[in-house]
This record gives sequence, C-alpha cells and structure tokens, in this order.
Amino acid sequence: MDRIYDLIILGGGPGGYSAALYGARSGMDVLLLEKLSAGGQMGLSAQIDNYPGFPEGIDGFSLGQQMKEGAERFGAQTLLAEATAVSLDGPVKEIQTSEGTFRARTVILATGATPRLLGLAEEEALTGRGVNYCAACDGMFYKGKTVAVVGGGNSAVGDALLLSRVAEKVILIHRRDKLRASPVYEKALAEAKNLTILWDTTVSRLLHDQRLTGLELKNVKTGETSQLACDGVFVSIGRAPASELFRDQVATDQVGYLQADETTRTNLPGVFAVGDVRTKPLRQVVTAVADGAVAVYYAEEYLAEHQ
Amino acid sequence: MKAMELNQSQFQAQLQQDKPLLVEFWAPWCGYCRRIGPAYEQVAQQYGQDLEVCKINIDDEPALADREGIEVVPTLVLYQQGKAAGDLVAPTSKAAIDAFLQDHLPKKEGK
Repeated sequence: MDRIYDLIILGGGPGGYSAALYGARSGMDVLLLEKLSAGGQMGLSAQIDNYPGFPEGIDGFSLGQQMKEGAERFGAQTLLAEATAVSLDGPVKEIQTSEGTFRARTVILATGATPRLLGLAEEEALTGRGVNYCAACDGMFYKGKTVAVVGGGNSAVGDALLLSRVAEKVILIHRRDKLRASPVYEKALAEAKNLTILWDTTVSRLLHDQRLTGLELKNVKTGETSQLACDGVFVSIGRAPASELFRDQVATDQVGYLQADETTRTNLPGVFAVGDVRTKPLRQVVTAVADGAVAVYYAEEYLAEHQ
Repeated sequence: MKAMELNQSQFQAQLQQDKPLLVEFWAPWCGYCRRIGPAYEQVAQQYGQDLEVCKINIDDEPALADREGIEVVPTLVLYQQGKAAGDLVAPTSKAAIDAFLQDHLPKKEGK
C-alpha cells in the first residue's frame, strides 16, 4: 500500500498495453489494472486485418495476449482488478479497486468505449454468436446470409450499406418513421436492392439456439409483435465511453469522452487519456496503440518536471 | 491449480464430494468464453483450497448441458451438496466472479 508506482494504467486494451510497453521499456515502474482479460473490445473480434504486421490477420484475443506478453517482458505488471473509485488530483493519484488501493504519480486512462447495447436478455452472451456491433469487423462472416441492422443514424445506415454488398439480404430496423442519417445516403439506400427498412420498429427479444436465429420485433405504433428470421444482427445505436468513474474529475465532451488532444494530456496534471475513451476522430487499434506511446512520452516529461 | 475439464461421469463424481464445485460451461466456438479464460484460471488458483474449479465443454457433453439447463455459454454454475446453488451468465469482470462466489460460498468462521 505504501508503494507509489511511476505509472498506473487503467484498462488492458491496445492503448493500455502499448503504454505499459513504452513505460516499462523506459524504466518506469508500471502497474496495469484490467478487469477481465487483455485486448479490451478487440478481444471479441474474430479477425483483425487492419493492424499492420500480420499479413494473414490475427484474432483480437490473441493480439491482446501478445501485447500483454510484450509489455510484461520489460517488467510491466498486470493485475485483474476492477477500479471502483479514483482520486486523480494532486501529485499522488489513488485508485481503489476490487483488489485494494493503489497509488501512482501518473495515471493513463485507457478504459475504452463500449457499443451501446439493445439492453435485451442474453445479449452479451450472444455477442459473437449472431449479435455484432461492428459491421466493418464482422460483416464478412455474413457473406450470402440474411442480417438485420438496428439503428437509424449515419453509422447504422453506413453499416447497412456495407453489409448489403456482402450479405444476401439486409433489413434495417429503425424505431422512428424517418432516418436520422444524412441525406447523402438516400441515393445509395434506394439503389441497394437487397436492403429493406422496417420503420417504427424495435427489437423486443433475441431468438436463438446456440446462436442467434432471429429477432422478435415490435411495431411501436400498433404494438404488434412479429418474428424475423436472420443469421445475424448488427447493433448500431452508438457507442458509450467507459468514463463514468472519472467524469467528476476529468473534463469530458458532451457525450462523456475524456477531453485530450494528440498529446493525450487531460485537464489534470499527470493524468492522460488514450484510445477509444479519448476525444478523437478515428477509434481503431492502430490509433489506440499510437496514443499509448505518446502518453508515456508526456508522462515521462511530467515526472522529470515533478521530481 | 488449473481449471479441470470434466466429462459426464467425472462431473457426477465431483458432485458427491463435500467441497463445493464451480463449473464453467463453455464451447470452443464461444469468443466470450475465451475472454473470461484468464480470470477463470486465476479463480481456480485463488479458490482451489475451498472450491473445485472445473469446466465442461458443452459440445462434448450436450446431454449434460441440456440437463443442467445451460442455454448460453459461458455460464458458471456453483454446486453445493450435489445441487446447483447459483449461476452467473457471461461475467463482465473477475470482480463479478469474486462477488458471485462471496455471495454463494459458505462464510468462513471469523470473517
């Protein structure tokens, strides 16, 4: 308990482990706290083809494990612990977790973002078994199949159009009678012959055996329910940053992403935000990894100035 | 101690023991099962004294999984005195598994 680390990293996704690698490699005393397993969101991606260096691609879980091992080779420690409260002000930051309280002079917040869920029973358990949140990642698995997309914004429409080029049939399910998506999509939507839109409709139940077999739908105007058989569903109703624990201390944007520019510095001295939890234009493995390296560069600078 | 893989007859034998039994029903095609793997192995190491920590592959033991009412994987089931005492579907953290065990395992004297 008396120990004060040079750096504590919250979150073991690509941003967190890149920071752990850079920190440990430059001689810092690094503890990484992760609640479940290395990799974060990418841990459920069956195939990652847009992280350079893997010509055949790699599954997200294995990539996470390899990032962890790479950081541990230089002495970074991992503890499976869930943070429950933080105190990030002042020269010594304190993190309370399910495994006790830890202290450090710098903290990197790498807690990521999570797709907004439909909030239906068994949704998490069916993730990767018919329930998906990333068309660009998992769309190819539905070649020649029937898929539904839930949502009505730009990303839902973009996902539906992307899937219409791969799947045999795409059904876009939207709870209103009009899309929120930008009009630029209208022409493409009209031209996609295998794409239909179900208006005023929500998903009320996930039908499944070992994997998803269909959806129970509800018409919000008539209250009528119906069933739709499909091989997969892509939920595209937005993402939520995992920043609840820090929002009263670290500045965020309206949605809750931690405000930090390319230096990854937050409003609090010695506290950095990397990866998907940070305000940034492109949330990818490769940009999270870059953030981790940058954050350590500025953490070292901070430590040198506050000896 | 590693989480031991059980078949039907080993499972029946374990149920007869006094020591509580924790089983993760899993499947090789289940990505989320893989994600909880490191946390589950740590549970096996940490609780090994008081708890038998095991796994059952539902593809190898479909009848058993069916009889135990497993509809989704991963599902963790805690058995005490030969009966299911509680279950936890797709835990999102190791802390969630710890909390589940603390709620269901008999409290130790003096704690």
